[in-house]
Amino acid sequence: MNRWNVRVEPRGTVSPLLAVLVPLGSVLLALFLGGVFLFLTDQHPGEVYVRMLDVSFGSARGISETLVASTPLVFTGVAAAIAFKLLVWNIGGEGQLYMGAIFAAGAGIAFGGAPPAIALTLVLGAGALGGALFAGVAAVPRVTLGTNEIITTLMLNFVALQLMNYLVFGSFSPWRDPAATNFPQGRPLPDNASLPEIWRRVDLGLVIAVLIALAFWWVIRSTRWGYEIRVTGDSPGTARYAGIGVTRKVLAVFLLSGAAAGLAGAALVAGPVGALEPRSLALNLGFTGIIVAALARLSPLGVIPVAVLLGALNKAGPALQTIRVPSSTVLMLQGLILSLAISGTFLLRHRIIVERKPQTVEEVPA
Amino acid sequence: MNDSVLLLTLVAAIASGTPLVFAAVGEILTERAGILNLGVEGMMLVGAVSGFWATLETGNLTLGLIAAVVSGALVSLVHAVPAISLRVNQIVAGLALAIFGRGLSTFIGRTGSPPLVGQPPRSSFEPILDGGLADIPVIGPLVFGHDPLVYLSWVVVAVSSWYLFRTRPGLELRATGEDPAAADAAGVKVTRIRYIHTMIGGALAGLGGAYFSLALVPSWQDDITAGAGWIAIGLVIFASWRPWRAMFAAYLFGGVTRLNFTLQAYEVEVPSQILAMLPFLLTIVVLILITSGRRARFLGAPAALGNPYSREER
Repeated sequence: MNRWNVRVEPRGTVSPLLAVLVPLGSVLLALFLGGVFLFLTDQHPGEVYVRMLDVSFGSARGISETLVASTPLVFTGVAAAIAFKLLVWNIGGEGQLYMGAIFAAGAGIAFGGAPPAIALTLVLGAGALGGALFAGVAAVPRVTLGTNEIITTLMLNFVALQLMNYLVFGSFSPWRDPAATNFPQGRPLPDNASLPEIWRRVDLGLVIAVLIALAFWWVIRSTRWGYEIRVTGDSPGTARYAGIGVTRKVLAVFLLSGAAAGLAGAALVAGPVGALEPRSLALNLGFTGIIVAALARLSPLGVIPVAVLLGALNKAGPALQTIRVPSSTVLMLQGLILSLAISGTFLLRHRIIVERKPQTVEEVPA
Repeated sequence: MNDSVLLLTLVAAIASGTPLVFAAVGEILTERAGILNLGVEGMMLVGAVSGFWATLETGNLTLGLIAAVVSGALVSLVHAVPAISLRVNQIVAGLALAIFGRGLSTFIGRTGSPPLVGQPPRSSFEPILDGGLADIPVIGPLVFGHDPLVYLSWVVVAVSSWYLFRTRPGLELRATGEDPAAADAAGVKVTRIRYIHTMIGGALAGLGGAYFSLALVPSWQDDITAGAGWIAIGLVIFASWRPWRAMFAAYLFGGVTRLNFTLQAYEVEVPSQILAMLPFLLTIVVLILITSGRRARFLGAPAALGNPYSREER
């Protein structure tokens, strides 16, 4: 006989301990489920995970490469976190990253002769501008007409991807390397327009990414503007009633989100990729940023460590091929992590209570 | 006469639009229950790889279709459980499914020896090019010249339209999407209906994916659907959540994706990358047009779309 009663009750507040334990638990559970799947398909989960850890954190070179892979994810993670916080569903980080890369590479090629400080400022500024403008293509119809930004930003991802492909593979644009005649590739950025390296291949881009994350964290936490964003995100109706200009905030945050994603593209072309190189830029980094933001529970500060974790995962993917495991294992794990992390928010918001059923009269022996 | 460029374009548009028909009608049924599932692309890819694998193993196309339908329905649970039972944000839950399905399908396609990637199909669905009714001028190729899956898609559209608007369960489905609390009070099983229709959406997306790997391409390659799942989600909006409209919109998009062949016939040179942008640009433009002004209110989105429902928290 079932003597236990399971009840689910909403929780008032989220305990800080659970806020860390639940995302961490979801990553571990995803790795476990992924391991079961690997086992069922005749792979060796232990070997796969040891290999992944070793590649990402097992040596100074591994750690530096992990940090290189994390840099764009800090930017795209911040981009998703600030937008989602305001219930702006910018799923277009991917396209905004490409557009940022296109603008930044253009600026780098055009102004590469300028002194490094000026050239770099122009490159990064152009990247942010490109991302913001491209976000604007979805943001302006959203705030003026109420056009669903989920669909428009999604579609714009493909538009930007094809534009980037066109500039390098489909035309003789200034972005294409004139020296590469057999296989088309992006024109390398001049040294003056490239981010200086600070430790191995880790460059200034990581520092900028962390500073941007900290800046957004501070703005949202400590300024009036940030407070209004939090109120609006929690309850748009209340915000309107309190006289908060919701439309202007949506537009501003949408554009800032695009700028952050655009900076990811700029940091890549001025950093480890070194050119507008579609094959090295179209790596799902915008979508991974959404996973980063969800795991960080939309905190720009939390984005930093989570980006390192997912950067490590991304870095490990190609290395798996050396032990004959498809690199798409990583993509699958990322999908699982996101699914479990978002499911975990249920545990954060609800209490599950298991208690003994009160015995009914019939069950009491006479 | 049956070789004219216009006619061939229309026939090609129907073929290219067919996966969109399956996926969009599936998403319509899911969204009519109030569940927004952005994971269509992932479900299509899983259906495509399962259908191809099963056909390769058995040599039987029907078994391939069954594998696609079943795998699509099963993988939709990755969205259904968090979205319906755990009541989490449906946008993020759907994206997780899209990413997971992409990873899973690529993994399946590249594991095993020899891997599915690059293998020729053992069997595929073929259009009826000539002979019999297909020889009738104009009508022949347009109505009688297709492969069996196109006819299946017509049946799916007709049945789902009838189901939605002419049956009692269809009424309950629409009620669930409009006002789950009222439907619940009237004795409609909201959770069950939401699960069933998310899985039907997955099954149809799987079928749409299988159209790529068993008819259109036909073989397996990474990301074989090339964004069709995302376009299908956009189609639902400008079809106003109605199956027949979704079918014609899908053919319009199918025509746009085949524009390169038509333009080649007229010797117009447009870079392939620009052509590849067109379906996505078209989605954006149409979406902006239909949401502008007062028309938006008559679009007919289910009122509770994307909202979780819990009896306790009503």
